[in-house]
Amino acid sequence: MAKDTVLVLGSGPIRIGQGIEFDYSCVHCVWTLREMGYRAIILNNNPETVSTDFDTGDALYFEPVTLPDALRIIEHEGVSGVVCQFGGQTAINLAEGLTKAGVKVLGVSAESIARAEDREQFEALLESMSIARPVGSAVRSLEEAVQVAEKVGYPVLVRPSFVLGGRAMEIVYSESHLRSFYSEAESANPGQPVLVDQYLLGKEAEVDVISDGVDTLVPGIMEHIERAGVHSGDSMATYPPFSISQDLQAEMVRSACEIAKALEVKGLMNIQFVIKDYKVYVLEVNPRASRTVPYLSKVTGIPMVELASKCMMGMTLAELGYTSGLWTLDPSETEAPKGHVVPVDEVATANLEPVLHAVKAPVFSFQKLAKVEALLGPEMKSTGEILGIDFTFEEALYKAFVASGINFKGDGGVLITVRKEDKDAAVTIARSVVAGGREVIATEGTAAAIQAAGLPCRVVKKIQEGSPSILDAILGGEVSLAINSPSLDEQAGSHAARVRRACIEIGVPCITSIDTALAIARALDVFENPQRSHCLRLEEYFRGCVVTS
Amino acid sequence: MKVLVIGSGPIVIGQAAEFDYAGTQACKSLKEEGHEVVLINSNPATIMTDPGVADRLYIEPLNVDFCERVIARERPDALLPTLGGQTGLNLATQLSDEGILEKYNVRLLGTPLTAIRKAEDREQFRSLMREIKEPVPESWIIQTEDELQAILDIVPYPCIIRPAYTLGGTGGGIADNKETLWETGRKGLKLSMRSQIMVERSLLGWKEVEYEVIRDNKGNTITVCNMENLDPMGVHTGDSIVVAPSQTLSDLEYHILRTASLKIINALGIEGGCNVQLAVNPESFDYYIIEVNPRVSRSSALASKATGYPIARVAAKIAVGLTLDQIENQVTGTTKACFEPALDYCVVKLPRFPFDKFASGDRTLFTQMKATGEVMAIDRSFEAALVKALRGLEVKTKDLSHPKFPPMDDEELALAVKIPTDERLWAVAEALRRGWTIQRVNGLSRIDPWFLHKIMKILNGEVETSPTAYKMVDTCAGEFESATPYYYATNEIESDFVSS
Repeated sequence: MAKDTVLVLGSGPIRIGQGIEFDYSCVHCVWTLREMGYRAIILNNNPETVSTDFDTGDALYFEPVTLPDALRIIEHEGVSGVVCQFGGQTAINLAEGLTKAGVKVLGVSAESIARAEDREQFEALLESMSIARPVGSAVRSLEEAVQVAEKVGYPVLVRPSFVLGGRAMEIVYSESHLRSFYSEAESANPGQPVLVDQYLLGKEAEVDVISDGVDTLVPGIMEHIERAGVHSGDSMATYPPFSISQDLQAEMVRSACEIAKALEVKGLMNIQFVIKDYKVYVLEVNPRASRTVPYLSKVTGIPMVELASKCMMGMTLAELGYTSGLWTLDPSETEAPKGHVVPVDEVATANLEPVLHAVKAPVFSFQKLAKVEALLGPEMKSTGEILGIDFTFEEALYKAFVASGINFKGDGGVLITVRKEDKDAAVTIARSVVAGGREVIATEGTAAAIQAAGLPCRVVKKIQEGSPSILDAILGGEVSLAINSPSLDEQAGSHAARVRRACIEIGVPCITSIDTALAIARALDVFENPQRSHCLRLEEYFRGCVVTS
Repeated sequence: MKVLVIGSGPIVIGQAAEFDYAGTQACKSLKEEGHEVVLINSNPATIMTDPGVADRLYIEPLNVDFCERVIARERPDALLPTLGGQTGLNLATQLSDEGILEKYNVRLLGTPLTAIRKAEDREQFRSLMREIKEPVPESWIIQTEDELQAILDIVPYPCIIRPAYTLGGTGGGIADNKETLWETGRKGLKLSMRSQIMVERSLLGWKEVEYEVIRDNKGNTITVCNMENLDPMGVHTGDSIVVAPSQTLSDLEYHILRTASLKIINALGIEGGCNVQLAVNPESFDYYIIEVNPRVSRSSALASKATGYPIARVAAKIAVGLTLDQIENQVTGTTKACFEPALDYCVVKLPRFPFDKFASGDRTLFTQMKATGEVMAIDRSFEAALVKALRGLEVKTKDLSHPKFPPMDDEELALAVKIPTDERLWAVAEALRRGWTIQRVNGLSRIDPWFLHKIMKILNGEVETSPTAYKMVDTCAGEFESATPYYYATNEIESDFVSS
């Protein structure tokens, strides 16, 4: 009997916002489909990847991932269904056209995608379930945008709709700022509305879930180290959360399950949350595999793409041995990951003691890109990522920093120049730095706060105050790590930007988010005593402690 | 045997998904031969760090400390250094230099470190090339104004001045004559933090050609394929539009360069894959060797996909002692890895740049790579493949038109054609659309007239771009039966199918 042929759409060229993670998911989907007895064929045009290796699928079509090319292959091969979930925005963008052409799109319908991605439909959906979101609206003109911003209050987040990776997205602080930025957001995706939302400076978290359309498994919750305002792809993401209460975790799990059910997702879905004043808001829902899927699969032991692909092909989570709720690891006596699903209603009260801690950190390519500003914001800038995993949070943090290239460069001091709002945090960081035996170097304002706390600190001049300035200290090799959080209204090309650029050019790590800096301070003890961290096979971490053998 | 493989870590510009592809193939290839694979890689978003790809998996930071801890714990017999990009290779070199490999009795597989040093160290490489009489561009390291003065009369003009250790490569330039060299050179010495500049014969405008070559430990060598950059010398090959096989070389040139590449891989004593970059004078048979990568690289990933020949898989087998005649060609299932692939199609690679995100970034292309990714297209002709590659690039335009260039006046457009940027192809198309002669566009861009003629053909609507049949990539141009269903579309009547 001839097998059904299923076409898996790849993610095209690697770009910022759509990296190797999507190829990972495509490959796993193909493997699963083959194992299930389908004939799985691949369409992709990226020569760098495993998905375009000649023996990954049952056939490889090395062609552009566009609608006409896909339709031709579908006809030629007699394809019975197409998978759009794993190839990033490239693939999901074809779902609507394929549906209109009468092709069966597996897992998630074009209507569901629209319900998640179309602003009005999405608002109506959340409203019907009483799930909170930052208020705002989709607008089609600058004047409309100004009205919305006034109604919800500045700052507002302004971005184009249907664009991946936060391109042309900005936190806007004033009407004049909005007037100068609006056209950029509008032209990023012509013909589509621009989104103007209340901007909540809170803690961010996200989940990737697997749903069979009825039941929904949450393999894990990731908490971001950087607060809202830094693109999720550029944030350090910790598993499990390190500072979110179980009540709020329970709320996130409940929202995720309800949204997946309402959207009738069969497969993977990613939801981003922001937490402000002990309240959970949903920021966005992506009914497809996200960039955190490989990371979460590895640290939870849940084969996420495999389960999602099986759900997509009609199997239920129950058939696969899972139920609705939050997957929680248990210490394993063997090296196979062990855990259980905590039902939605029990998340708030269950024992969620972590077996391991994992931290994903972004990696940037600023050294290769002259004149590109290293400051993090709502637009994604990283090109890659690494994983730090260990038994304690501090050890995992340490590994994440070191693996992403953030380590003290020599024995020099730590330069701290922060904006007004971050002065208290600067003092906390300075205290750890001094305790670790390193010198603190700061410009006047920051130095005053540090000295007022009774800590030693060397004062250097700002660039505009003449030589020897902060720039001379960096170029002269006196700085081993720089922490620079710019003021909210800092202009591009400013003095601070020159400081950051100088760090990049000579290879001194420069941290631009105060939250990242606080995390380094937290892990400083491991930096001083690296042997505290472990070096184990991935599976050994599932034991939850070191087994001496 | 227990073999340690070092991955390439996070994706950065210049080191992308190709090393997951290469590393995954290498792990599988070593396991096929019955070896136990220990892997260390910090990048979780890779297939190679999946359970089951390696036997023993460490997702730990890639530095000497953690590598040593893995070695101390696992006691591998051997280390395979040439499949994890520059990161993997540098780490292996450090582990060797610091005596860690010796301490734990770990031997290196594949290309010996001495050969790697010979390829990567500028002075050692130059002296080896002199020994085997292969030309390298003349260059001088200058540290004082007196030294600069002394070379003014011996340098071939035009020459390139590169200051060492400056912010963003500032202070460099091209000099056509003594006066400019003196001026630019002195400025460069001041700007360089180490007061050092390099002066080098300029090959700007020459053709850039690469050969992917493989050698086993018995000295058998083959070329997997050659590739030609549409962008002439001066643009990083990762940022260039690349065609495979070369399209503008004469048969004689092709073989001169092939012979040179094979001579080099033999002289170096490479055991595995290697990439040789050459510059070819478009007006004579002169050529220079630019660079050799003694490892699996981005170019070899492209060459593998362009030909169907799995370079990383074969390189891993060579590293554990197999010879080319013993390794099966999995694509055909009947031939061996010592058969040089034959192509009955043309491949075009287009780089994908991040300037849609980094609007403020400097778009000028030079020797520092800026692209984050690439697309490849296969078709029967260069022009059809170029059209297809453009369609799949996922940028604002899907063809040779770009809204930025039609409003430009001729003067502006001439600059856009002359200075390489990520958008130059569209500027060239606009110039041809305006009726500029091929000679004029070639004079400005130095892009070979052959390519310009083909672009002209596309603009004139002479290229049939809607595919009607599917053909196979089979490494042998249909000479043998093929078992691997790897297809591309083209405008022909009959489709290929896997023989069953």
